[in-house]
Amino acid sequence: MKPAPFEYAAPRDLDEALDVLAEHGDDARVLAGGQSLVRMMNARQVSPAVVVDINRVRGLDALGVTNDNGSSTLSLGALVRQRTSELSGDVAAHAPLLAEAGAQVAHAPVRARGTVVGSVAFADPSAELPAALLALDGLVKVRSRAAERTVAADDFFTGPFRTSLAPDEMVVGVEVPVTAGRSGSAFVELTRRQGDLPVCGAAAVVGLGDDGRVAQARVALCGAHQRPVRLPAVESAVVGADDPSAFTEAAARAADGLDPIPSCHGSADFRRHLARVLTARALRTAVARATSPKETTHA
Amino acid sequence: MSIVEEPVTGTRRWVGQSVARKEDPKLLTGRAGYIGDVVLPGMLYGAVLKSPHAHAKIVSIDTSEAEALPGVVVVLTGAAAAELVDPMPAFCAEPVEQRAIAVDRVRYPGEAVAAVAATDRYTAEDACAKIRVEYELLPALVDPVAAMEPSATRVHETLDSNVVFHRSLDWGDVDGDLARAHTVVRAKARWHRMGAHPIETAGAVASWDPYGQSMTMYSNSNFINFLPWAFAGILRVSTNRLRMIPCTVGGSFGSKHLITKVVSITGALSKACGRPVQYLEDRTDNVAANDNVGCDRIYDAELALAEDGEMLGLVLRIIDDYGAYFQFAHGQHGNAVAQPVGPYRIGSLRYDVSCVLTNKVQQGFFRGAGADPGNFILERLVDKAALEMGIDRVELRRRNFIQPDQFPYKIPTGNIYDSGDYEAVLDRALEIAGLDRWREEQERLRAEGRYLGIGLASCQERSGYNASEWWFLYGDEAPLPATSTPESCKIDVDAMGGVRATIGCPLWGNSPETVVGQVVAEEFGIDPSSVSVAYADSTSGAISAGPGGSRVTIMLSGATRGAARTVKDKMIRVAAHAMEMDPEDVECVDGVFRAKGAPGTSMTMAEVGMRAHLFNDGTEGAESSGLVAVHTYDHPYFTPPTADRSDLGAFYPMVSHACHIPIVEVDPETGHVELRAYYVVNDCGTVMNPALVEGQVIGGIVQGIGAALMEEYRYGDADGKLETPTLREYLLPSMHEVPEIVLEHLETPSPFTEYGVKGAGEGGRLVAPTAIASAVDDALRPLGVWVDELPMTPERVVGMVADAQERR
Amino acid sequence: MPDKVRIRITVNGTRHDLLTEPRTLLADLLRNDLALAGTHLGCEQGVCGACTVLVDDVATRSCLVFAAQLDGASVRTVESLAGADGTLHPIQQAFTQEHGLQCGFCTPGMLMGACELLERVPEPDREDVEEALGGNLCRCTGYQNIVRSVCTAGRLMSEQQQSEQSGVRA
Repeated sequence: MKPAPFEYAAPRDLDEALDVLAEHGDDARVLAGGQSLVRMMNARQVSPAVVVDINRVRGLDALGVTNDNGSSTLSLGALVRQRTSELSGDVAAHAPLLAEAGAQVAHAPVRARGTVVGSVAFADPSAELPAALLALDGLVKVRSRAAERTVAADDFFTGPFRTSLAPDEMVVGVEVPVTAGRSGSAFVELTRRQGDLPVCGAAAVVGLGDDGRVAQARVALCGAHQRPVRLPAVESAVVGADDPSAFTEAAARAADGLDPIPSCHGSADFRRHLARVLTARALRTAVARATSPKETTHA
Repeated sequence: MSIVEEPVTGTRRWVGQSVARKEDPKLLTGRAGYIGDVVLPGMLYGAVLKSPHAHAKIVSIDTSEAEALPGVVVVLTGAAAAELVDPMPAFCAEPVEQRAIAVDRVRYPGEAVAAVAATDRYTAEDACAKIRVEYELLPALVDPVAAMEPSATRVHETLDSNVVFHRSLDWGDVDGDLARAHTVVRAKARWHRMGAHPIETAGAVASWDPYGQSMTMYSNSNFINFLPWAFAGILRVSTNRLRMIPCTVGGSFGSKHLITKVVSITGALSKACGRPVQYLEDRTDNVAANDNVGCDRIYDAELALAEDGEMLGLVLRIIDDYGAYFQFAHGQHGNAVAQPVGPYRIGSLRYDVSCVLTNKVQQGFFRGAGADPGNFILERLVDKAALEMGIDRVELRRRNFIQPDQFPYKIPTGNIYDSGDYEAVLDRALEIAGLDRWREEQERLRAEGRYLGIGLASCQERSGYNASEWWFLYGDEAPLPATSTPESCKIDVDAMGGVRATIGCPLWGNSPETVVGQVVAEEFGIDPSSVSVAYADSTSGAISAGPGGSRVTIMLSGATRGAARTVKDKMIRVAAHAMEMDPEDVECVDGVFRAKGAPGTSMTMAEVGMRAHLFNDGTEGAESSGLVAVHTYDHPYFTPPTADRSDLGAFYPMVSHACHIPIVEVDPETGHVELRAYYVVNDCGTVMNPALVEGQVIGGIVQGIGAALMEEYRYGDADGKLETPTLREYLLPSMHEVPEIVLEHLETPSPFTEYGVKGAGEGGRLVAPTAIASAVDDALRPLGVWVDELPMTPERVVGMVADAQERR
Repeated sequence: MPDKVRIRITVNGTRHDLLTEPRTLLADLLRNDLALAGTHLGCEQGVCGACTVLVDDVATRSCLVFAAQLDGASVRTVESLAGADGTLHPIQQAFTQEHGLQCGFCTPGMLMGACELLERVPEPDREDVEEALGGNLCRCTGYQNIVRSVCTAGRLMSEQQQSEQSGVRA
């Protein structure tokens, strides 16, 4: 199990990296943490002609919060390691869902090399971080030699391991809007074995109104569809709810319209079942945390 | 058989102690010498192209592009390899030929279709990627029941049916017991295909000498000192020109007994180019094509009981999916009939087995080797009987246990159980588990809507197999009715008194050096750390079947003690001669030879050693020079089967026993099962080394957790493709899945073995799966769940809950 | 064939200046080019952790890193632990004391993962060990003794440090 030959490029700055991508397009793959890419290259499931190692590119490892016209944004550059994000005070304070989902990704040594952006760009429909980014209403920052654009996470993921990224583009960072007010979030998943990709996972972010009822909700799933997926029907059904049974009722619709990819770890039907169960649990926990912020246990 | 007279354990100095492991320093420092570490001058690296298809004709193979790659030395198709090596040895009577590289037809996904040797592994894989194979697909047989249909496509055209073997045997009056029973409990069960998957794959380094027509073969095979002639047959080398050299083995669990495919492919590549070649399976080769697969059984079973719960008779009807070949015959059933009735007095048995061929990798051997699903079905039947008859499951077991005064006990098949005290084990297990406390916790959690379950299983671990189990289910047609399963040890004491042992079994992850050190130390009264231990290659003549069937500590103890005593007796004679005493009056205490009971005149090991090596003074009574002895220890208690197989004889008579009590919590919505606690009481006779036995038992339990919850080969229903080709799909338990395991020992020594030791290598895995199954259905009893299929994946648990709800 | 890449890399304190194919995995560079066979390959998929080494003090699966990426890096392998005189490192001592290994094939990965953990968390508890080594598979031991070994190693190292400090004071 050894990779096929390739040309190795180790650019020192972003323009240089984008030049290589512009030249080689689909024949090139960006290497950041490599915890998925190198595995697939070893198995020759992918055999890029050129590997663009961005680990030496300056300026991609920033993690922080910026304020602009009263709205705050948490941003993570393409070289922010998953472990760094998971342990970051800024992430814990402003996007606890990202930290909670991040802590469930693989194992600590894998997270020490793997990057948040790498997971997003890889777009594994079963992975935790893309679903978390969806539930956080995140944005994907994309660059090519010619242009720079920002894509809403929901528009970024187009299919299994597929994104709206053009061959000459790379993801340079992700952003998460920071919201004020009474809010809570939760990420729950079922894995066959701790640290494995989940069979199914559910991310929920809720905001409560002054009356204690759900004012806004965002729910996303992994492992339940061709891509990480938001559940607008569930989201609108829980608005106004304040009773755990209402979340279960809303979650009953979680699998409507989903087309899960079956595997040896779970059939499509089982994934639909888990979508309903885990959505209800994520909502209950998120609301419980919003209600009493110290609440940390899963419902 | 002879009954071995043993002193009580307390009088021993080294046997029974947690002596430090001799193997550790080399293993801890990365210098153990695994097969992947063997590098010979001029060595090439091999790789294999595997079939992606389950069943297909090979229409054509074009190797030209691969051969043109720089660095590629040899490309072998199956046809080309057939010019160099012969088919694999078959232990079956049926005409099922198997070659290491397929010729004309592939019969399972992952079967080798070509092999390459190149200057490095990367280049060898580049070459594999450039071999063009044209296949014509054939229907893939995945479901063993469908494969039994007469109309099904045949896996082998040489056979009339895919049911390659069927036999039904009755021992005792089965029909009578069924007729007079008050209750007949019936259970169907499914035990899915699992694999050993040691962290090190199988591999070999072959070096062919075309001038001397001789082959040197390094490998991590076990049987190098047992069946070297079988390898010579494959490799077309004279048996006396094949030298097989053992390596430290990175785990086997039964999977590396033979590894004939790897040896054959490596040997063929080396013969093709006249250079040394290393071929190591990568993980996908190992999962898809190594012979490391255990049983794959469908049970339809009945247990007949009298009104008071007395077990009368047992019926086991089994369909076993053997995969595409039958190299090891119905192996894993010979094993299962060593203990089909478990620890219970069951008077009759019907064993009806159908071995079916399908398009999957063939069965090999995996820890438990057939007794693992046997324990599963029997304990499920007992639990079901307890439920149906309204008898407490503990009480039902007590009523039926074989009693301590009934040993040696002959079970219906003819096998003998040597000794045991099953009720004492059960009592102690219940005590350390604190059953009442867990029942209270179960009540408390049920009130919260949570599901805690308490499992229980009381099972046997037969140990020390005899080769008769390989063939006795055949009649006269058995191709190789062998009856020897020896183990050898050579001991020599040098002129300075240094003791060296050379053993025929390789290091498989167990602790042969430590055990040999303990035995030698016990016999001479010296420190075990002073004994050096080496591994024999196949030129030594140290015939040894090595580890397998939980035999190696039993057999090595016998071999080592025999050799040590022979040498010690000679040293006593040499010392007596030198000290002008009668040998009867000389003893060896703490490594010193002295007058019995009168420690005045004495000689050290070194003094006797020097005398024995250089001072044969030619006087009458002087011993021949040198201090060396080889002892080959045969199976301690074997009797042959009768011609009509109404009695299979004693073939697996050292029988350990254990009671496992796992505590689980089940989430019925997601199907997740969490182990909260685990209690074990184990009786493997005299415990040679408590730390090492604990390691074996706990390691086995964790493999049993895998069997209960995670491990399974899956092949696509439609196309037969392997869906679990790596350790991302075939799941081994990790640290996270393992609870704290509390383990105690009781000791009922075996009367048949040296020191009274019995086997302990497989017990953990033999008991844990069925114990955890009982815990899960204890947890889900309020929902009416009955577990009849392993592993209990989340999806299966959710399905079982849904089915139970539907039945209500 | 693509151009070879020059790397300057320090392995177990020894500096190397090498030309390597871009696709050479760190594990293969160690085993084949530098004859450090203590690093074992179990799955080449990052699942088993047997090939774990320390790259700039961080536990890393050497099957998922190209050697070409490591220009300027410092790597430690299992061969760095014991002294040339045969003195075992306290982590190795603890593994033998607690019987934390059987076949030994996963052991180098366990030791190096433990090494990183103990440099961060001097006296780890079970939870710390599970976080650090939960992704390392062992098929022999059932893990219980591995956890014990790492916890014991922490104590041995603290004791050693204390006795060294008191030695300095005296």
